[in-house]
Amino acid sequence: MASILGDLPSFDPHNFSQHRPSDPSNPSRMIPTTYRPTHNRTLPPPDQVITTEVKNILIRSFYQRAEEKLRPKRPASDHLAAEHGNKHFRAAASSSSTTQGL
Amino acid sequence: MFTSRNVTARVFERQIRTPPPSASVNRARRFYENLVPSYTLYDVESPDHCFRKFTEDGLFLISFSRNHQELIVYRPSWLTYSTKDDSFVPLPRRASRFDSFFTQLYSVNLASANELICKDFFLYHSTRRFGLFATSTAQIHDSAPSPEAVPGVPSIDKITFILLRLDDGVVLDERAFHHDFVNLAHNMGVFLYDDLLAILSLRYQRIHLLQIRDSGHLVDARAIGYFCREDDELFLNSSSQAMMSQDKSKQQQSLSGNKEDDSAENGLHHHSQPSGSNSFLSGIKQRLLSFIFREIWNEESDNTLRVQSLKKKFYFHYQDYVDLIIWKVQFLDRQHLLIKFGSVDGGVTRSADHHPAFFAVYNMETTDIVAFFQNSAEDLYQLFEQFSDHFTVSSSTPFMNFVTSHSNSVHALEQLKYMKNKANSFSQFVKKMLLSLPFSCQSQSPSPYFDQSLFRFDEKLISAADRHRQSSDNPIKFISRRQPQTLKFKIKPGPECGSADGRSKKICSFLFHPHLPLAISIQQTLFMPPSVVNIHFRR
Repeated sequence: MASILGDLPSFDPHNFSQHRPSDPSNPSRMIPTTYRPTHNRTLPPPDQVITTEVKNILIRSFYQRAEEKLRPKRPASDHLAAEHGNKHFRAAASSSSTTQGL
Repeated sequence: MFTSRNVTARVFERQIRTPPPSASVNRARRFYENLVPSYTLYDVESPDHCFRKFTEDGLFLISFSRNHQELIVYRPSWLTYSTKDDSFVPLPRRASRFDSFFTQLYSVNLASANELICKDFFLYHSTRRFGLFATSTAQIHDSAPSPEAVPGVPSIDKITFILLRLDDGVVLDERAFHHDFVNLAHNMGVFLYDDLLAILSLRYQRIHLLQIRDSGHLVDARAIGYFCREDDELFLNSSSQAMMSQDKSKQQQSLSGNKEDDSAENGLHHHSQPSGSNSFLSGIKQRLLSFIFREIWNEESDNTLRVQSLKKKFYFHYQDYVDLIIWKVQFLDRQHLLIKFGSVDGGVTRSADHHPAFFAVYNMETTDIVAFFQNSAEDLYQLFEQFSDHFTVSSSTPFMNFVTSHSNSVHALEQLKYMKNKANSFSQFVKKMLLSLPFSCQSQSPSPYFDQSLFRFDEKLISAADRHRQSSDNPIKFISRRQPQTLKFKIKPGPECGSADGRSKKICSFLFHPHLPLAISIQQTLFMPPSVVNIHFRR
């Protein structure tokens, strides 16, 4: 058989006897179905570059936890700077030194 | 992944089937179910050295001489012999010699007269095949208190870290620490991450960061402790010169007064900046305290509630926070450190009850503390349970990623959950589990025979961590996890005929080669030096 597979050995000599190689003069009618999007809402932004995140998942979870703790208190954060002056004053006056399990 | 248990069928199957995505190493490891170190040579006559470890890539066997002053490196090789008969032939006589399995490469003297090599310390830099060793002089327990030192920590006159190229035994670089204390047992005070080395000086509370260059030099990168950034010291010195001139005028006024007080005062001022009681807290302690303050501050929104909660949680325990010292350090990635803080008398005790311990994640680039946990924190435990692999950071060798932990193995996770359910109180369980954080570097063997998805074995008798175990007379069984759950091989650490003297306690240590089916078990009694060395291999 003048097939593309040639005379490859097989267990049974009658295998591949039905095979007809594809004939370029007689193109196949089969067109694979293609699907096209009907909208462009899910297009990526034109300058998008996908890279691997440098921080591993553990470090990301630490930062996420820190973010969550800070987030609801954002409106009050401008008071923080003013209170820092008290810290040194208080430290000098701190009294307790008993060990207490937290 | 393989449909058959027969090794030949598996080899043929490997030719035609591709493994599931990113599971090629797991599939290759299945072959270790077929090739097991089932044959044992008992009581091999071996040179009288302390065998320490196989390197992670399996190229070298590291051992130290009995007097702890020399390093001897062997190359593991494989037994080769040929026979003419097809039938079962006993091994030739020379098979039971140590030399058939290991060829000595060289022997180097690392320690001088009064120093000893610390035989529990060894770190391997796999990309360049460098080994890091440590020698130290004797430990002094009641050392003279120096102004910067933490009281209660012993002092060692000289600790030297030696970087050696293992291919030929050439000493490349050394770094010495004087009158300091670094916890060298089982690599606890030192952590190696790729080419970054973190050495924790317990006595002076400083984390020294060094980089191992390709040329073999140890370069100082940073010292975190009193100063957080590299130029902090310069900044403080330049601003302190202005302060010193003011102080001098004050001193001259008081000199006319009581002379005894002044000499003490002069002494204090003439010390370098980090003096004891009257000046700043160390840089990292300041970062820690301000983080705790801000965390408690942000919990409440009302100002009066804030102040109350601060009083209760922060100022009440302020002195305890100030007295915390760094006990252990680990890299989480190139920029983040996990630091364990504890009280001065806590430290490395096994019981976590009485001494509070805290964990902090510190970013070295921004010098910020990112997170702070107590050792009974449940959210840290959740992260530990889910992402345990990311705590045991692996360097560039590929098969260190596959060491079984409860994040990557269903069986280990089941065991952990069983222990969790069995525990009486959850916070005690959490404390017990978090005792293993921060992890020590390179303390687990990468051998696939410890892979829980391949074999089941008694964790108390043998495990991937390289610690001594109590030896038992019964052999240690490795049972396969897959169907059928048959015994694959046994390791009997004792001499072949059993020990005649049943009273003496024996401890046993196992060294498994990372990728060959070869293992050494060394059994020794506690007081008598001669030890029994057995070699287990696949015949």
